[in-house]
Amino acid sequence: MTQRITIDPITRLEGHGKIEIFLDDVGDVSSAYFQIPELRGFESFCVGRHAEEMPNITNRICGVCPEAHHMAAVKAVEAAFGVECLPAARRIRELIYMAFFIADHTTHFYCLGGPDFIIGPDAPAAERNILGVIKKVGIDIGSQVINCRKRNHELIKRLGGRGVHLCGALPGGWAVHLSEEWRQEFLAHAKENVAFAQFSLKIFDDIVLKNPAYLDLVLSDLYRHETHSMGTVSESFAPDFYDGKIRVVDTLGCEIALYEPKDYLDHIAEHVEPWSYLKFPYLKRFGWQGFVDGQQSGVYQATPLSRLNVSDRMATPLAQAEFERFYDTFGARGKAANGRNLPVHHRLATHWARLIELLYAAERMQELLNHPDICDPNVRQIVEARAGVGIGSVEAPRGTLTHHYVTDGNGILTKVNLIVGTTNNNAPISLSIMKAAKGLIKGGVFSEGILNKVEMAFRLYDPCCSCATHALGKAPLEVTLRDATGKELDRVTRQ
Amino acid sequence: MSPPTSAGNRVIVGLGSPFLGDDSIGPRVVRELAGSCSAEIRLVESHAGGLLLLEELAGTQQAIIIDALLDARRTPGDVVVAGISEDSCNAACGHDCTLPQALAIGRAMGLLLPDDENIHLVAIVVEDVTTFTESLSPKVATALPLACRTVRELVAGAINTDRKEAA
Repeated sequence: MTQRITIDPITRLEGHGKIEIFLDDVGDVSSAYFQIPELRGFESFCVGRHAEEMPNITNRICGVCPEAHHMAAVKAVEAAFGVECLPAARRIRELIYMAFFIADHTTHFYCLGGPDFIIGPDAPAAERNILGVIKKVGIDIGSQVINCRKRNHELIKRLGGRGVHLCGALPGGWAVHLSEEWRQEFLAHAKENVAFAQFSLKIFDDIVLKNPAYLDLVLSDLYRHETHSMGTVSESFAPDFYDGKIRVVDTLGCEIALYEPKDYLDHIAEHVEPWSYLKFPYLKRFGWQGFVDGQQSGVYQATPLSRLNVSDRMATPLAQAEFERFYDTFGARGKAANGRNLPVHHRLATHWARLIELLYAAERMQELLNHPDICDPNVRQIVEARAGVGIGSVEAPRGTLTHHYVTDGNGILTKVNLIVGTTNNNAPISLSIMKAAKGLIKGGVFSEGILNKVEMAFRLYDPCCSCATHALGKAPLEVTLRDATGKELDRVTRQ
Repeated sequence: MSPPTSAGNRVIVGLGSPFLGDDSIGPRVVRELAGSCSAEIRLVESHAGGLLLLEELAGTQQAIIIDALLDARRTPGDVVVAGISEDSCNAACGHDCTLPQALAIGRAMGLLLPDDENIHLVAIVVEDVTTFTESLSPKVATALPLACRTVRELVAGAINTDRKEAA
């Protein structure tokens, strides 16, 4: 009899996604999928509105990545209206974006991904959280995390005009310029951010890389599979979170695409499955081959790990040193046939890659604040609405984010399409879950520790499927056993 | 609610997205209150929870959080006044932690934060929080005045919160 294990809702995931694991007659895993709840009618909601509203509408899609949507939206509006952002305004946007990346990556490491290592993957769920981290490592960790978030959110609030849902983006510019007084203050914050990023990397070193059991877990086949990699790069092929070309390298490290974000439809198509509201993007040159990895599959990932894989270097010195150490550790530095680094396919290495990005963002913040024109007051311009097609793209912390708008002569939206970071990773998340589940669940036997190790396979992607669901009371993790007809056979609940 | 030690250290937070149907009830209540509430009470609209919510509560001694509630056991439009407890997932951010966890961290750090008994959740039972629209469903729209009145009574200390539900 076929059984189905349902993990719903996933703990510590934005929105209430769920994992479906199907068992065969002997209780082994036959398939596994990642599903997220439906959000209905976003495109029709936006059509008919003025394009200039989009930065302030899309930043309310969820409470996790408002800055990413704000930036992608204003870039799409600018492309549609045929306007270039003023240089000082562009620097302010990138400065805010670095602050956002720092706060977001910090939160993921200390609250979501890190507890699995710091507390241990087999520890009770109630202990695998930021409080457990503080209990184990000390209150100073908690203070550093809170203070890091606070100083970077303060920068976003002041320059963005509002705390969580900033509103500073204007087509062609930014609402306010940076004063010298604020520059000095933020520069001190940026210095603290660099120290904090280095501190976080040392924690990863001490707790994960120097622990043979955890290192084995990172290097194990359980969490390794090969997909192509995507990320935005600068002209020197370093990661660029705010702007650049999209680069795709294959499973062996060879560049197979380098394109302007506006040309994304030439390279990306979306597959639809009847059981999921979320589409499955894939590379057109390979086509959709199903839920399979490998060189001939169209599946790609867009994550901190893939952003390193597509890059030849980091643009800042401390991050560059970590980048080299990262590929040295996996024996991949300069080992591709073309002399590039071999892509790292060990998915748990994404946590390390995220911390290297954290360090880069902190260093980049310093660079921007030291730019001689960062305080230039010329940050606004008059922009005329027009008919056009605009595609705006940024790297969200959890993957490449694309906004695609079509406007009429009055700047009214006639078409809207979004490919969000997590959508890019929909297929690889399912692949990662399937690989982990098949390796961990045998003969229908599973435990909380086993299920958490399955969860670790998707948590590393830092997925965000905001569904704005609210529940009075507890939000348990439920494991439901069902037969082939969907009838519930058993249920295990853990809080 | 205990009498405030200072009128300036109170916050009312309306949680939810203004574009996701009934999820906008929290921000709607805050907007309604904006014209009549004491200027010393800070009003916040936010689509966030966990540590972000902690940042809004930091520096205050009393907080009222207004949120949409999906609960099949209740009738849409019902208004529920609740407190928080250790195992509550209300006002949680799936991206970091629950509000009780965030408060525990903040208190351990020595931040000025409301005691648990001075944090109230005003939850409005809703029908649809997944459709993008700026309209409330009819039953929830009808509950807007009651939700506002409930918040005003909490501010005035006119509700016996000893009988509040633990969320």
